[in-house]
Amino acid sequence: MVRDLYMFSRVNEEADVIWFKVAYENTLHSEADITSFFAEKGLDIRFAYLDSSEDPTRGKYVMFTEAEKGRDISSVAEELEKMDVVLTVKWGYSKNRAIQSVDFPLNILGNRAVLIRAKTFVDIINIMNEHVTQSEGLLTIIGLKNGAGAARYMKDMTDLNDENFLDLLGELLMAAGWGKIEYDMDVSELKGTVKVKESFIADEFGESDVPVCVYISAFLAGYISESLKRTVQVRESRCRSMGDEVCEHIISPAPRGVKIEHILRGESH
Amino acid sequence: MIRQPNSILGNEKLLVTMGKKAEIFGFYYPRRDFAQHVEESQACIYDGKELIWSNAREWTSEQKYIENTNIVSTELKHSNGLKMDILDFIHPELPVLVRKYRISSQRKFNGKFFYYSNLQVGEMKKKNSAFCDHDSGLLAQYWKSYYVGISSAPIFKEWQIGKAMDTIWWTNAKLDMEDGGLQKNNEDIGNLNCAVGWDLNIDVSKPAEFTVFIGAASRRPTLYRKMRQVQKENFDDIYDETQEKWVKWLSRKELLELPDYIGFEKFKQDLQMAFDRSLLTLSILNDPGRGSFVASPEFDHEFEMSGGYGYCWNRDSAEIVTSLLKAGYPEYCSRFFKWCKATQMHDGSWFQRYWLDGNKAPSWGNFSFSTQIDETGSTIFSMDRYYRTLQHPVKEEYLDSIWATVLSAAEYLMRRTADGVHDPCICLWETHLGIFTYTNAAIYAGLLSAANMAKDYNEKGLADRWTERAEFIKKTTIERFWLDEGYFARGMTNGNLDTAIDASIIGTFVPFGLLCPDVPEEKEMIKSIIKNIEQQLRVPVNDHFGIKRYVNDNYIEGNPWIVTTLWLSKAMLEMASGIDPNVGDAENKEHRELTHNALKYIQWSLKGTTGAGMLPEQVNKYTGRPAWAIPLCWSCALMLDNVLLLDKIQKNLKISKEARSTGSTNEIFPI
Repeated sequence: MVRDLYMFSRVNEEADVIWFKVAYENTLHSEADITSFFAEKGLDIRFAYLDSSEDPTRGKYVMFTEAEKGRDISSVAEELEKMDVVLTVKWGYSKNRAIQSVDFPLNILGNRAVLIRAKTFVDIINIMNEHVTQSEGLLTIIGLKNGAGAARYMKDMTDLNDENFLDLLGELLMAAGWGKIEYDMDVSELKGTVKVKESFIADEFGESDVPVCVYISAFLAGYISESLKRTVQVRESRCRSMGDEVCEHIISPAPRGVKIEHILRGESH
Repeated sequence: MIRQPNSILGNEKLLVTMGKKAEIFGFYYPRRDFAQHVEESQACIYDGKELIWSNAREWTSEQKYIENTNIVSTELKHSNGLKMDILDFIHPELPVLVRKYRISSQRKFNGKFFYYSNLQVGEMKKKNSAFCDHDSGLLAQYWKSYYVGISSAPIFKEWQIGKAMDTIWWTNAKLDMEDGGLQKNNEDIGNLNCAVGWDLNIDVSKPAEFTVFIGAASRRPTLYRKMRQVQKENFDDIYDETQEKWVKWLSRKELLELPDYIGFEKFKQDLQMAFDRSLLTLSILNDPGRGSFVASPEFDHEFEMSGGYGYCWNRDSAEIVTSLLKAGYPEYCSRFFKWCKATQMHDGSWFQRYWLDGNKAPSWGNFSFSTQIDETGSTIFSMDRYYRTLQHPVKEEYLDSIWATVLSAAEYLMRRTADGVHDPCICLWETHLGIFTYTNAAIYAGLLSAANMAKDYNEKGLADRWTERAEFIKKTTIERFWLDEGYFARGMTNGNLDTAIDASIIGTFVPFGLLCPDVPEEKEMIKSIIKNIEQQLRVPVNDHFGIKRYVNDNYIEGNPWIVTTLWLSKAMLEMASGIDPNVGDAENKEHRELTHNALKYIQWSLKGTTGAGMLPEQVNKYTGRPAWAIPLCWSCALMLDNVLLLDKIQKNLKISKEARSTGSTNEIFPI
């Protein structure tokens, strides 16, 4: 099931949609206790998420429920707050029946993030291609910067090494909704391929005669170069927008001493 | 991208604009308006881990001009203990920017010093070509007949020329710097960037010094010759020569007699510095070969938020050369009027604006209804101002040379004012279409000026005809546009009387003299105009008020303008200069009030300058910071006028007191 980050509750159009944000003391049974409480009160949870990863002693449980109009919710909230495991409760009506499944503000890789649709991203690429000279170069610079930044963040957060850096990248790309990757790389030779399934750019772009995922190629180049501290180039050889099953990005060492014009003409490959 | 400079540098051949951290914003060669060759150019330090760009947030900066010169000193201090002292100036003879970096550290430091540039030679991002001839210590980039070269003392040890915006990103010089080493690629083509580098080893007691030269030429051998010449010269010699050149140029200025104004601490020095800075600024925004001025160094190349400023408007330049004339620099008049002669259109008018070489600039005034008739009036008014200062036989020679231009312009004004006011056109602010008080005043002055020259040219018939029309315009303007509220309407827009108050109506008094303070009734009108503008157009910021152009001004937030503020203070001082305060108490009070109020506005204007003292067009109404078009020539010209009027007032006072031998002091502001 594809998850929509901005949904509307449609189960019972006559009911009120109510949100709760519950801060709780983290025990093995805290989440179960809170969920049971809602079941006892006859409040059906339509959507929920919880998180106790930042501080192992505390957690946050956010849920959207439906209740018949006119029901006294404040007394339910008061009772909920009195539970042993519950620290604080905030609640309110979702006036327009919207269910937002992302907390605000949102962070990715330790920085403030915003959500945009793949369509918007591709619209930006298309408008750049139309109006900006050397748009591909510009996307390359942006992708590189972002890829290298992602690798630096990973290094800070985890033990990133030659063995796991591409696995970590795969998890990141999937979490961010960019696509799923498969890779095959000889780290010592700096050669290999990264296949991206369901690339968000290619899927949204539609048909094209040339590969369109230059941003992802550059992101990979930045990520790999920063992870290995050796410079690689990455170019897209196959692309879903061209009718290929997956997008394929070829990794190779950045040529030093090779005449630039030769590279442009493809003589080094 | 729009970037407002904090300071500018120049000589006869080159104009450079800089940010407050000494990053280059504009590098104009061979003219002040074209071509702008630099997208980015600044220093960067590599500390072994990362790059520290000279424009990074962590640096605090203090930038100022060396007194009496167009030499800029920038001091950058980093929180990590690094300090960068930069001296920037243009070589006294050559089109070469000299940048001396002195880098010190509170602890021993080992790293690299890079100088990075993203050049777009000939204003072209594409089709550029660059090469590094390390044996000659020169990195050059060119497009067609434009060459920009980078050299240094000592000669740089490493370099990179790469693609600034390409998928082969590892050649990109900016990215190449990140590992602290450069690849030494010798040549490339396309959209390029480049960097040169040195080892940077600093002891606490021994700072490192590098001098970077950035030169321009129209041919490769010329670039080589110029850069070779500058490499051979001793830095201190170039610096001394440059300083001497500016000090000498400035020594020709009108000597000022300014008193210590009570209630305005240290203001005398501030006024003197503002006067000098305005002169020095105008000197490098003028095309010495053609005589034209850019209104302001261009900062909005893509016309993103304005129509651009890097062009010559007759209105602005006519004011500028008149101010320079009064300040002791008459040669700017003769050169500019030669340019006017060459650029006048067949119908006798002048176009909205021009490139400095006289070609018509991008314009939204291509039709007779969208032209700005006031510019033609201003031009011949200014020609006559200059003419009146000349002596035999130069005076006659000048009149001979300019007569056909004046005749053609005056006849153009006659054709366009048959009804006693001008035909509909665009206003001086380039905002409204209609008939305007200001424009009528400019035409009035233009026709009287033409008549003055006609009389001397034995064309009495023409002189009478033009004078008669000028008086008709004055009469009609007052009849149709003077309001019971005590000021002139803006004019007619959309076929209706537009009663909005507009600061440009001061033009009826200064500079155009449609109203004369010697006529009691007209003096009251002037006073009423001043009062109404102060009441209705003042914007509180920076502990006083600036004057905005007109009510509901939407251009760049409707900020107060330096131009309109100094225009108002000029009017006050012009009034004061005609009053002898020693005649009686009433005169004394009026004189004091006018001068005091003018000083407050001048003081306000100086608070709106950049850290280096550049006068902008506008001051941000919320922050009080310089807001737009920095520096603006028109603002500089008005600053000169204001200071010269203060000087005139002081000299008048002296004469008056000597004549009366009252024995009283010159303290005119007992506040």
